[in-house]
Amino acid sequence: MIKTWLGLRRAGVLGINERNLRLINDYNPRRLMRLVDDKTETKRLANAAGIQTPELYGLIRSPAEMRKLESLLNHPDGCVIKPANGSQGNGIQVILGPMRGGWRRSNGQRALLEDLKFHVNNILSGMYSLSGQPDIAMIEYRVKFDDVFDPISFGGVPDIRIIVLRGIPFVAMVRLPTAESDGKANLHKGGVGVGLDLVTGRTLYGMQKGKTTDIHPDTANPLSNISVPHWDDMLLMAAKAYDVTGLGYLGADIVLDKGKGPMMLELNARPGLAIQVANRMGVRPLVEACMIADIEGLDAEQRVALGKKLYREHVPDTALV
Amino acid sequence: MLTTNATYPSVTSTFHTRLLAFVLTAIAMTIFGIKVFQYNYPLTPGTQTTTWDFEVYLDFDTANQPVRIETFVPSNSDARRVSQEQYYNGAFGLRLETDGDNGRKAIWTYRYPNDRKVLRYRARLEGETQRSPLPAEMHRPADREPPESLNDLERQAFLVWSSDMRRRSADDDSLAELILQEIFVQKDADEIEALLPVLPPPLDRLTLAAEALQSQGIRARVANGVYLDEARRRTEVQHWLEYHVEGRDKRYFIGADPKEFFTIWYGTEEMIRADGVFDFEPQVSIQPIDSSASDVVRKAARADRTPVELFSFDRLPVTTQLVYQVLITIPAGIVLLVFMRQFIGIETLGTFMPILIGIAFRETALLNGLILFTLLVALGLAMRFYLEKLRLLLVPRLGVVLIFIVICMAVIAQMFNSANMRMGLSISLFPMVILTMTIERMSIMWEEYSPEDAIKAGAGSMLVASISYLVMTNKHIEYLLFNFPELLLVLMAACLLMGKYTGLRLSEIRRFRELAKEAEPK
Repeated sequence: MIKTWLGLRRAGVLGINERNLRLINDYNPRRLMRLVDDKTETKRLANAAGIQTPELYGLIRSPAEMRKLESLLNHPDGCVIKPANGSQGNGIQVILGPMRGGWRRSNGQRALLEDLKFHVNNILSGMYSLSGQPDIAMIEYRVKFDDVFDPISFGGVPDIRIIVLRGIPFVAMVRLPTAESDGKANLHKGGVGVGLDLVTGRTLYGMQKGKTTDIHPDTANPLSNISVPHWDDMLLMAAKAYDVTGLGYLGADIVLDKGKGPMMLELNARPGLAIQVANRMGVRPLVEACMIADIEGLDAEQRVALGKKLYREHVPDTALV
Repeated sequence: MLTTNATYPSVTSTFHTRLLAFVLTAIAMTIFGIKVFQYNYPLTPGTQTTTWDFEVYLDFDTANQPVRIETFVPSNSDARRVSQEQYYNGAFGLRLETDGDNGRKAIWTYRYPNDRKVLRYRARLEGETQRSPLPAEMHRPADREPPESLNDLERQAFLVWSSDMRRRSADDDSLAELILQEIFVQKDADEIEALLPVLPPPLDRLTLAAEALQSQGIRARVANGVYLDEARRRTEVQHWLEYHVEGRDKRYFIGADPKEFFTIWYGTEEMIRADGVFDFEPQVSIQPIDSSASDVVRKAARADRTPVELFSFDRLPVTTQLVYQVLITIPAGIVLLVFMRQFIGIETLGTFMPILIGIAFRETALLNGLILFTLLVALGLAMRFYLEKLRLLLVPRLGVVLIFIVICMAVIAQMFNSANMRMGLSISLFPMVILTMTIERMSIMWEEYSPEDAIKAGAGSMLVASISYLVMTNKHIEYLLFNFPELLLVLMAACLLMGKYTGLRLSEIRRFRELAKEAEPK
């Protein structure tokens, strides 16, 4: 136990306590958290800054607006229902498209209008919101994800998380859905996290449920050496997210649409620490490098370059080995 | 170093936090030190408690008419001691009167009172035991007269019965035994029934026994007071018999002999008499105080309001003190919870929910509490999953679960009651809102994460609740915090320091253990 503890110290692994105190408390003022907790607000800010997000079809703010639901759902390409104040992917329903008598869910099952109304009602009553407050349901464009991750995902949308400190992206991973995670890319539901090389955007190693793995559990394909397309655009989006929200420590969740390119799904003011396992490294050295870096007068593009430089100082390029 | 300070706001505030924690600890330890070294407060609860806090609390409504309240109050004798008497009179006039050999009376009067009033009497008592000598007046010989209150017929019957008793005994000692046996053990004897004076039981039999013994030349009387057995917010006034036979002092108690008791008055009068009041709620409470601690407090009281006394609960009414005795242990549980979360990383349902569950365990004791809690949560979860099918809205669904829990609790109480187990009754106070919230949170976790996560968090909550219950009910911790409330500042300081802990949690060492392997080759 003590040996493990010393090993973790040497590896610079960041714990929840340290994240809460030194990153969230210090860099994310309470009043700014609201901007990312409410996804409609995030979308508005992001669009204003030219960051692409999935198109919003409509909002349901109260049970009285429920009759709008049916028309909002009727997109041939499907849609996504999500709570505006949800966290950790809770309460998200993916609709693939209409089918006879209802809609097809991401797991292939049929959902009746009544089922979806019940779900929206649960969202409105605050079942998935952070503090149990009444919430708003969002119905938005369903991302038709790029097939680059097809060999290593199973149903659902793989997404890319980039963690940004003081506007400097410094660590990233891609989260892949599995059969176990029911099409969701959330790690705590059994999704696979794969570390990304921040400079090249190539996948490195994987982890599932806290354990390292090199193959996808469902497809058995190797996880490493897949290049993420539009990688620099994604880094830029993440760096810009700092400018629009002012949050010093945030995680940007980005998906890659087949036709429309990268889209920012949401921002997270309390990104988790599992990314360390996916990247097989402790992030404290990088975090400290970002803390003392001089970012005065740097724009998003320059901060991306700075992030790449810092990353390469700490992590060797595996492609060259 | 300067640059690091500038970039981590948390580092600059670390100094502030440590300073604050240090100052709090220093203040607390100073007061604690003064109490321990200068006033010799003991650090552990005494093994035997001989001093008791006694309080008569009179709460009543008045209606603009003269009020007179008389109550017997404890008085000193060779065997027992009253100290530190305090009267809280308000606007009332107070007179103390000695009512013959019967005892000492406090009489409160007021001519035109209105609205609700409260009167209080407080004292420290040192009790008597079965071996304590009786007061000197009990050693005088008794005059052998049958009681005067009887009419001729009854007097005749009394004489026949008492001479029968006398015939069947060898000496005064066995006579006394026989009379008591006849009156209290063979209760159904008709002649006894006929002789009983018109008094509420058990005073009727006690009075008859006293009269019978007196008529045979054995000095006896009815004594009234309280048993000093355990802390009680409402204690009953008890009645017993004291008699002096063949040079020995004896007492006869109905039921088991109390280990310790305190005689307040003699005779058959009621303890408290009130005129001109409504909605009268007299309350007599007792609470043990550690003997050596009370000596100290007595010393301190003479000096009157030493500064350290401001940091103790001794001056509060005993009823309030008993509440604080429970309340003051909660911070100990909270510190434990903070430690478990910050250093060990145990997952619980809700932040302070385990503490609330731990407090609820006070009513049920640990094992019963755990069984009941698990049972009720399991039943509630089953209900919750059934309701899921009905597609109800959140708040009404919570309402249904709440009502279901109440029904379950009622059924369990009935079941245990018919099985003659006391556990059934104790759950009636089990806070059901806590139960309902636990069920709701657990079911959301169950669906959104996984059944294992929900069960793990539930088990974590129970573990923390159990440990915090053990800490909060620990006699030493309770004693220390109650007698040295300044230690709360130390607990606060501990929480402050834990709030700045940035190291890994025990659970994270497990979670990230693979990363430690990565670091090894270097």
